[in-house]
Amino acid sequence: MDQTLVQAGLVSAQAMINKALAFDPASQQKISAMAPKVLAIHMSKPSVSIYIVFGQPLSLHSHYEGQPDAELSGDLSAFINLASQQDKHAALMQSDIQIRGSSQLAMSLADVSSQLKIDWEAMIAKLTGPLVAHVVGKNLRALGGWLKNTSDKFKQDSVEFMRDELQISPHRLEGESQFMAIQKLKMDAERLEARIQRFLQTHQKSGQ
Amino acid sequence: MSDQNTTHFGYKTVNTEEKQGKVAEVFHSVAAKYDIMNDLMSFGVHRLWKRFTMEFTGARRGDHVLDIAGGTGDLTMKFSDLVGPEGKVVLADINDSMLKVGRDRLLDKGYGGNIEYVQANAQYLPFADNSFDIITMAFGLRNVTDKDMALREFNRVLKPGGRLLVLEFSQTKSPLLKKAYDLYSFTALPFMGKLVTNDSESYRYLAESIRMHPDQDTLKGMFENAGFANCEYHNLTGGIVALHRGIKS
Repeated sequence: MDQTLVQAGLVSAQAMINKALAFDPASQQKISAMAPKVLAIHMSKPSVSIYIVFGQPLSLHSHYEGQPDAELSGDLSAFINLASQQDKHAALMQSDIQIRGSSQLAMSLADVSSQLKIDWEAMIAKLTGPLVAHVVGKNLRALGGWLKNTSDKFKQDSVEFMRDELQISPHRLEGESQFMAIQKLKMDAERLEARIQRFLQTHQKSGQ
Repeated sequence: MSDQNTTHFGYKTVNTEEKQGKVAEVFHSVAAKYDIMNDLMSFGVHRLWKRFTMEFTGARRGDHVLDIAGGTGDLTMKFSDLVGPEGKVVLADINDSMLKVGRDRLLDKGYGGNIEYVQANAQYLPFADNSFDIITMAFGLRNVTDKDMALREFNRVLKPGGRLLVLEFSQTKSPLLKKAYDLYSFTALPFMGKLVTNDSESYRYLAESIRMHPDQDTLKGMFENAGFANCEYHNLTGGIVALHRGIKS
């Protein structure tokens, strides 16, 4: 990929991240405390490397002269999956992403990005003034709460409809009992196999 | 006039002593509007090229840096932040108009402590041997009369292990891009120059001087001849611009 395009992407992303951090002072402080450490992200398919230089402001680069403090390597899909997870710390531990160098630095970044809470009201206030921002913020919070409730209720209703009306999925307890029975059967079969093996070995020895 | 005493000034062949004066005229003419024109001509992309260059400098706190042909001080500003108060950045330019614009701009932005301003010819640098950790030259080498001599001078004033980075217009290999670029350079650039600085000739010289500048591999060879090791180049925007880097062995 042409480096001019890479640089344009990095400049935009850097501006966006720093803008977001400016409206979450707690996260900004944690990021600044990581200075002057460097974390490298090496993505394959497509092959792209990004170097995050911590500080205030944080900066993104396509090349870094020297050894980064930590390096994360993996497929682009693994990084996209990580970015979509709420708990990035746990997701990073369970992902296919390889960590080299200071894993503590990688974990700290995962923690900060999980806990990022942007003060949207302050961001709007910069454009509109505090009064309008407060009204907009209040309505947005109400809308957010309504969307969350509606989404939770829809999820719950869908489960009940599929289980009770359509009867295409079992109740959770039924399912768990079935899985336990399968697990018990599997273990019984393994035990039986072991006993048959032992019997065959004893039989072969006595035949000799 | 023998070939030894002539050089290029755009597409014209001029006496070597004459070129310096002609280049000086060009930059005296454009100095005041240099930044606006750079943004206009490159659509702001020159900032991305310079950002890429900075990534390869490896500048650290305490380093001594020479930004030769530094003009209005884009790189000097970034170096000043990186090397800190224990480091030093020399903004040098042969053209006093450009140097004055650069110095005023940096002072207005609050830069000063670790920056020195020197009017200097790249072929005869007024610095002791082994003085600098890094030398950068952005869009300046094609205006130098004797490029080989300048590269040897850079090698002399760099410390062993120091690095030279030259960001300069170069040659694109893509025929389609070349066609579009030629059309843009020889029609739009002089027109913009006429509109903004009332000087289309200086921008015609810019387009011509780019075509006369050595291509990527030739310049890399010139680096090696001047005594640089680990020479490499990176093409930017399809080769319209290239960043060359060499290390003093």
